[in-house]
Parts: sequence; C-alpha cells; structure tokens
Amino acid sequence: MNLQVLESQFWSLCLQGLALGFIYVLISLGYTMVYGVLRLINFANSEVFMVGTFATVVAQVGILQNQTDAQPLNGFRLIYTLTFALVFSMLICGFLGILVELVAYRRLRALGAKPLGFLISAIATSIVLLETTRILTFSRPQTSPRLLDKWSFGEFAGANFRIDTVMVIISGIVIFFTLDRFVTKTRLGKAIRAVSMSEEISKLMGINLNRVVSLTFFIGGLTTGAAAFFYTTVYETTQFNVGFNLGLAAFTTAVLGGIGNLRGAFYGGLFLGVLEQFASAILGSQWKSVTVFTVLVLVLLLKPNGIFGEAVQQTRT
Amino acid sequence: MNKKIQRSLAVVSAATLLFGVSAVSSAGAAQKTVYLAFQAPLTGANALTGQDELTAARFALSEYNATNPSVKVELVIADDQGLAEVAAVVAPGIAANKKVIGLIGPAFSGATQASLPAYKATGLPMISMSATRVSLTDKKAPVNGFPIFKRVVANDKFQGPALARYAIKGVSSPSVYLVDDKTAYGKGLADYTKPSIVKDAKIAGSDSVPENTSDYTSVVAKVKASGANVVIYCGYAPDAAKFVKALRDGGYTGIFAAGDGVLKATFPNNAGNTAAEGARLTAADVPFEDVATAAQMVAYTKLTGISKPGTYVTSTYNATNIFLTCIKQGVTTRPGMQNCLTAGSFKGIAGDTIKFDRYGDIIGGAAVGAFTIKAGKIVYVAVA
Amino acid sequence: MINLRDKGASVWENWSPPARSSFVLIVITLVALLPYAGDFGPTSFLNTPISSYQAVLVYPIALFVLMGLGLNIVVGKSGLLDLGYVAFFAIGAYTMGIMGTMTSLNTWEILPFGIFFAMLAGLLLGLPALRLRGDYLAIVTLGFGEIVRIIALNLEVTGGPNGVVGVPTPPPILGQKFELDDHKAYFWVILIMILLVIWMVRRFTVRRPGRAWEAIRQDEDVAALMGVNLLIYKLWSFTIGAAVGGAGGVIYASKTMFIAPDMFTFNTSILVLACIVFGGLGNIWGVILGASILAYLPERIRFISNARQLVFGLVLLIIMNVRPDGLLPRKKREKILQKAVK
Repeated sequence: MNLQVLESQFWSLCLQGLALGFIYVLISLGYTMVYGVLRLINFANSEVFMVGTFATVVAQVGILQNQTDAQPLNGFRLIYTLTFALVFSMLICGFLGILVELVAYRRLRALGAKPLGFLISAIATSIVLLETTRILTFSRPQTSPRLLDKWSFGEFAGANFRIDTVMVIISGIVIFFTLDRFVTKTRLGKAIRAVSMSEEISKLMGINLNRVVSLTFFIGGLTTGAAAFFYTTVYETTQFNVGFNLGLAAFTTAVLGGIGNLRGAFYGGLFLGVLEQFASAILGSQWKSVTVFTVLVLVLLLKPNGIFGEAVQQTRT
Repeated sequence: MNKKIQRSLAVVSAATLLFGVSAVSSAGAAQKTVYLAFQAPLTGANALTGQDELTAARFALSEYNATNPSVKVELVIADDQGLAEVAAVVAPGIAANKKVIGLIGPAFSGATQASLPAYKATGLPMISMSATRVSLTDKKAPVNGFPIFKRVVANDKFQGPALARYAIKGVSSPSVYLVDDKTAYGKGLADYTKPSIVKDAKIAGSDSVPENTSDYTSVVAKVKASGANVVIYCGYAPDAAKFVKALRDGGYTGIFAAGDGVLKATFPNNAGNTAAEGARLTAADVPFEDVATAAQMVAYTKLTGISKPGTYVTSTYNATNIFLTCIKQGVTTRPGMQNCLTAGSFKGIAGDTIKFDRYGDIIGGAAVGAFTIKAGKIVYVAVA
Repeated sequence: MINLRDKGASVWENWSPPARSSFVLIVITLVALLPYAGDFGPTSFLNTPISSYQAVLVYPIALFVLMGLGLNIVVGKSGLLDLGYVAFFAIGAYTMGIMGTMTSLNTWEILPFGIFFAMLAGLLLGLPALRLRGDYLAIVTLGFGEIVRIIALNLEVTGGPNGVVGVPTPPPILGQKFELDDHKAYFWVILIMILLVIWMVRRFTVRRPGRAWEAIRQDEDVAALMGVNLLIYKLWSFTIGAAVGGAGGVIYASKTMFIAPDMFTFNTSILVLACIVFGGLGNIWGVILGASILAYLPERIRFISNARQLVFGLVLLIIMNVRPDGLLPRKKREKILQKAVK
C-alpha cells in the first residue's frame, strides 16, 4: 500500500487514466459494434489494433519520409502529417476489419456455425496477423518519430496537461460522439441497429445483411485504427505483441459497460483507465490486472449485464 | 461436392508438401558434418531475443564455413519460445539427436531449467549466451547445470552489485527507485541488485511492472512522489525504452540505469536520443558493433539484413566460436567437446580470454562493463 | 456436409457386443503402442523433427487430450464458456510442485490433493461466476485464469517468476519406473486417466447430470422451468472439469520437474478450447481427434522454424472455414432439433 503517492499525484493519475481510458474506449468500439450486430466477440480486433500501430509508423516514416530521429514538426506540415497518419491508420484498420469478416466470419455465418466456431476462427485470424507482422518486422519494436513536440499547457493541481494527453481526450470525445450520432441518426446507422434487433426482420425490410455486417466491421476498424494512431503518438513505439494487453483491456471495457452498448463502452473505458492507474500506483503494478478483474467480477455480480446493459439498439431507448 | 473434394485435396497436398520437405531436409546429411544445436525463442512473445541471437550464431558459422574447413558444421535450430513447457519437449529431442555435439543456448533461464534434465542425462555440453539465473551454476542449488552447463554471460550475482555501484556513482545522497519487469530475468537481477543498494544508498521505493505494459505513467508518478534521484530498471530493452521516455516526459531528471537486457543499439533508437541520453547501462556483453571489425559488420549486415545488432549478439557469437574452436581442434563427439570446454581456454571477439570454472561460469570473466549513451550511441565507460 | 460422427455411430450400432469389446481393446492397444511408432518403420513419418516424439506424445498431446476432455464437460456438455481453464491445470501443478518439494508425499499421494484444490477453486469461482451468462462468464473465467497466474508470479511460496525447481518424479508403480528420458510410462499413466475420464463422461451423459447439462446448454430458462437446479448442475460440471484439469497439472509438474508461471498463460486456455472446437464440441471422439491434431501439428512442422505459428494459424483458419462445427460434430439429431427451435 502506498497512499503517499496520492497526495501529490492524485490529479495527475486521474488525467493519465482518462487519456489511457479513451484509447481503451476507441479499441473497445471494435468489439462493441461487432457484438451489437452479430452477438459475437471479435477476438481479432486486438491484432487489428496492432496492425494499426504499424500503419501509423509506416505512414510517418515510410510514406512521408520522416526520419526516426527527426526534429518535431510544426505548422501546416505537422497538421498534415498527423492527419495523414490518422486517416491512413483508420483506413488500413477499417479495411482489415472487412477482411477479417470475410475470412473469419462470412463463410461460417453462411453455414450457420455456432458462436464458438467464430471465436476460434477469429483467434486463428489473430494468430495469422500477429505472426505475419512479427516475421515482417523481425520481431523488433518499431519507433515512431517524435513529430509532435510534447509541450505542456501547464500544470494544474499537479496534473500535467500535455498536448498529446489533451489531444487524445478531445479527439476521443469527438470520435465517440460522431459515431454515436452516426448509429442513432443516419440511414446506415439505423440499418445497423435494425440488424442488431433482428436479423430476420431486417432482411425482410430489404436490408443487405452482408453489407451491414461489413460496414460494422469497417466502423469498428476505423475507431480501432484511430486508437492505434493515438497510442503510437503518445507512446511512440510499438511491437508485434502490443495487441494482447490492450485488446484484453478493451474487451474488459466493453464488458464493464455492457457488451454491445456504445455508451457503456465509453464510461467503461474511462472507469477502467483511471482504475488501472490508481491500482498500480497504490497496490503496485504487479497487482493491476488482479484489481481490474476483481472489480469486474464485483460489478458483474451487482449488474450481470454490465453497468449499462447490452446492445447497440438500446442507445436510444 | 466436387468443390469440397478439390478443397480437401488441396489441404492434403499442402500437408504432403510440408511433410515431404522435412523428409528431404533430414535425409540430406553430408559426410564429415557435425551439428550444433541452437535453442532460443524464435516465435511468440519472446521472439526478439532469440532472433537476435540466431543472427550471431549464423554469422559465426558462415565465417567458419567460409574457410573451407575439413569438418563442416551445421545448425539444428530449435525454437523453445522462451517457455519452459516448450523447452521440456524440445530438449529431449535434441538430446536424443546423436549428431548434435554441442548446444548454443538455451537463451532463457526458465527454459534452461526445464531443459537441463534431458541434456544432463545424455551429456550434451551447452553454452548459454543469456541465461543469467544464479542457481544454474550454484553448487548448492537443488538442480544446477553441473557438469555440462557453461555460460558466457555474467550471472546476476556479479551483475547486480555492479549495476547498483554504477547507478549511484557520483550521486550525492542517492535515493534509488527499483523497478523490475516481473520476468525471471528482471526479478532475478533486481533481487541481486537490492542488497547492494541497501548497503550504499537509500531505497525510495520499488515496483514490478509486468512485461509489455504500455503505460508507465503511474510508475512515473510514484517515482516523482518518492523523490528518488536514481531509477534502476531490471528488464528488457523494449520496455526500458517506454519507461525511460515516460520518465523524461514526466519531468524526471535523475539517473536512469539498467542491466544487460537493455544494452543494445535499439534501446536509444526506441527511446529517442534525448530520453536515452546519459542512461547508465551495465553488461558483460559488449555491443557487437563495438568489437566487430568493419568488414565483419558489413558481412553481418549482408547475411542477416540487420544493421543494428540486438542484445546478446556478442555473447552468442562467442559461444558459437568456442564450439567452433573445439571442432577445429578435431572434436567430433560429445565427451570430446565436454573435455575441450572444461579444459580449454578461448578467445572472445573483444580479445578477452574465456575459461570456464567447475560449475560453468567464466573464470574472472565476471568483469561487468559500464556503458552510457551519448547522442544515441552506446559508449563504453569503464569496468563497473 | 458429411457427418463422420453419425456414420461411425451407425456402424457401431450394427455391431454385436463381442465385436464392440474387441474393437475397443484393439484401439486401446494401438494407442498404448504409440510411443513406439516413432521408431517403427512404416509409422516413422509420425516422428517429430528436432523435438522428441515421445515427449511430444505426453505433453502437449496426451495432456491436451485430457484437458480437452475436462473442458469439454464445461463448454461442450453444459455450454458454459470457460476461457480460463488453464487455472485449474496450474493449481494442480503448483499443488504438486509445492507439496512435492516441501513434504515427503509422493506424486500418487499428492494427486488427490491436486484434484481437491482444483475442485475447490472451481467451486469458489463458480459460486459467483455461474450466475452470469454467456460472454460475461467468459471474461470472468478469463480473468480468473490470469489472476491465478499473476498470484503465482507474485507470491514467495510459488517461487515467483522462477517457479518451483526440483519437483520429484513419481515413484514406480507395478515395477514401471518413471525415468527422465523415458516418457512412455507417463504416457500410459495419462492414457489410463483419459480412459477413466471418458468412462466418467459417458456415465454422466446418460444419467441425470448429463441430461440436466444438456437441458442447460440448449435453453437455460426452459431448463429452470422444468425444475433443473441451474446453479447446482452448473457447479457440478465446473468442478468436475476443474478436477480433470487439476489431475493433469499434477502429472505434468511431476513430469517436467519444474514449473513456472509462464507455463500457464491465457494461450494455453485458448489452445485447449481451440482443440475441442476444432475437433467437434461436445463429442468425446471429436475432442480427442482435435486435441491430438492441434497439439501435434506445431511439433511436426518444426523444421519451418520461423513461420511455424503462422502455418498453424492458417491451418486452423482454413479448417474452421471448411468445417465450422469441427471435424466430428455432435449428433445430427440435435442440430435438427436446434433448427426446429429457431
């Protein structure tokens, strides 16, 4: 027990926890969207995230030719580089999501497989993604250059409001509410919600099921890709095995809030991010996962369907 | 139906292809060839260490075979994923392969521990390049590696105190924050570093952050709250890079020190030159690019496609060369190799003399080097 | 799609009892002779490159089959998704490791303790967790698996990351010694355990618990309505599955003589689950086939060292696409029933 750390670092831990939480939220949307529609856990999402972190590095170093020891950029060049990397990572992950659905889900859905069949084919897909990346990168960590100079807005109550922390939080909020509006307001979003309520009836209503499912994977991939970009920008390094821990945290996020529930994922992620920070600060980092899972069990005992209950369609009821 | 049959035919033929290849490759043993086995993690989460080491073993072998020796040497590459349970399956196989007269590895201490029974039973001499666990060469340990186990890396008992000494050198009223990565390597090193810290400095706090953690901000918060001016990290380079970066970004200005798991060219590369600047590193394994000749570096890069050698490349290169030296002297059997290793005296790539003591550690070779990082380059300072 | 399981069952039903018994005996004898297959000319293609074929037969193959059968009781029979099955294996292994090095008890005496502690853990986890449904249960069990590993990593008594060294091997039974470089004896012991588990599962299946599990798997609400005590029967399936895992862990620790937390990761849980889904969920023969293939394949393709896991992933993905219900799926009758329900 180390409570002394709270005296000076309480708000700092909160802030960092929120920033981490938003990355969890964005990854967990990859699980949430798919679960909402198909009622299946998309276990390959963690590796989609991993590919996204490499896509960010490729965009910055490979395509835009920034050296790994480059000086931070500024002005238009900075905005252009960051935006390009973000869009590149999102698109790569989005299309990878569609690909995952094609190889791991499409045929199994047509054959009417049981949920566990999907689980294993998704895990097989993630093994393939993981090992391919590992071989391509010689198992080595890859560094993203510090293109964004990490200046600080200043310290408030011991919490350091650094540009990347603030950027993650603001962008997280923007992306989340854009998605929320998309799902609740647009035609396509309504189609997703319809499929999530009943596959059979939405087919009768003339909805192209495969297209909606692909779209769901695409959107899940987009947010996961955004998370990968922010992760790479904040931590500036990635490795082929980065997916497992973050994927697990994001999956926990999704369950905490109620799998398939967008707003549940939002609050679940923020809660988890902050909880992790305090658990490792007070009890020691080695007890972090134990604390997280214990809290998860307690939450589920009180609310067996997560804090906010299940399903995408309920976001607007 | 037809389509299905075609598909299953494709699967079957793919399988035959795989199995067929194996039959060919195992049958292609030429005359006057001896085999050295190489055991390290080549796939899975720990693959980086093993893949780096494999480049060195390959390179040493290519140099040897380029001299057109009378006895050809080939590698039997065994992937143990750095996991004890896989090693327990791999080791009996290598032990039973009578053509193998020496083993380079295993890379990890846990895997070594699990492999030892099989190798001891068949008397296969082994030289590990990175298993640092003290008990492997401790005569009092319930299971040690006597007589077949040797290692060309300093064990934690030597490195721990050296690391502690070097980390607090020249610091007035040092207050140390000790972080390990909860692996057998990191925890082992931390356990042997701690007593020396207690002796000469104050321990401000300690934490164990499991491997592959992304976010170190909570540890940074604790370091800052504790007022430590020295941070010692016991773990591997990828995590050390993330940690030191988080520390510097979090406003920590004190000393960052780490052991041989971190000493490699990729560390300053991944941490960024600014964050890594001045980091104090110890290792019995000097960076390969510092001791290899320019021609060797060119050949190494050409062979492996890697321009910045990773950790334990030098020690793997030395381990392989020790075996090759014995083979040059005409050794072609396991007992012969065992005698050669026990009695012989060898030259390391840095010109150092390597001789093993009874339990397998280098005699007097526990000199741990102290390094620092200047402008993204690893610089040798002194003996720590 | 051809259902091999149904084909086999119809052939079996047409046989007379003596034919059945002799068939079973022949199969068991053949399996028991497997350790010799690596050196026997016509079957030497089974030999694994680099790793030892006989060691591979014990772990991963035989132990994966055993764990697969145990997990199949939980996942296949009663439909409870358990992603932390390795925890019970770990508890068995650590019981053996700690009691074996600290007390003078031998492996056979520790075996009941290992089973007991695993069952106890199953009960403690099950009591709260089994109130949850489907995927929520999955993550809680996943968490439990990680918690057990992390606790083993953090405690002193378990040796932390260094694990337990010098676990004693079993004393001889019936004159059969358990030697280090001789894996046959271990294989036979686990084979006997596998046969016992098969027998146990088959007895359960036709009796009250089996029917209760079946009802729970197909529809929990209906089962509850029909008077099945959900929690009790779920707990039963959970603890029996745990017992099998614990027993496997004890033998495993005694075989490798060394255990460490990194042997009991989430990957193992997933791999065992993949084995039973790949083979055919809920069907004993499918589970055995699936576990044998998936445990054997990575060892057989060792010569492609770098891309080994990649090939494994590809094979798994392709087979799941071709046969989503596994190689030997459950009886067709049930599938028809399921369709009708839909």
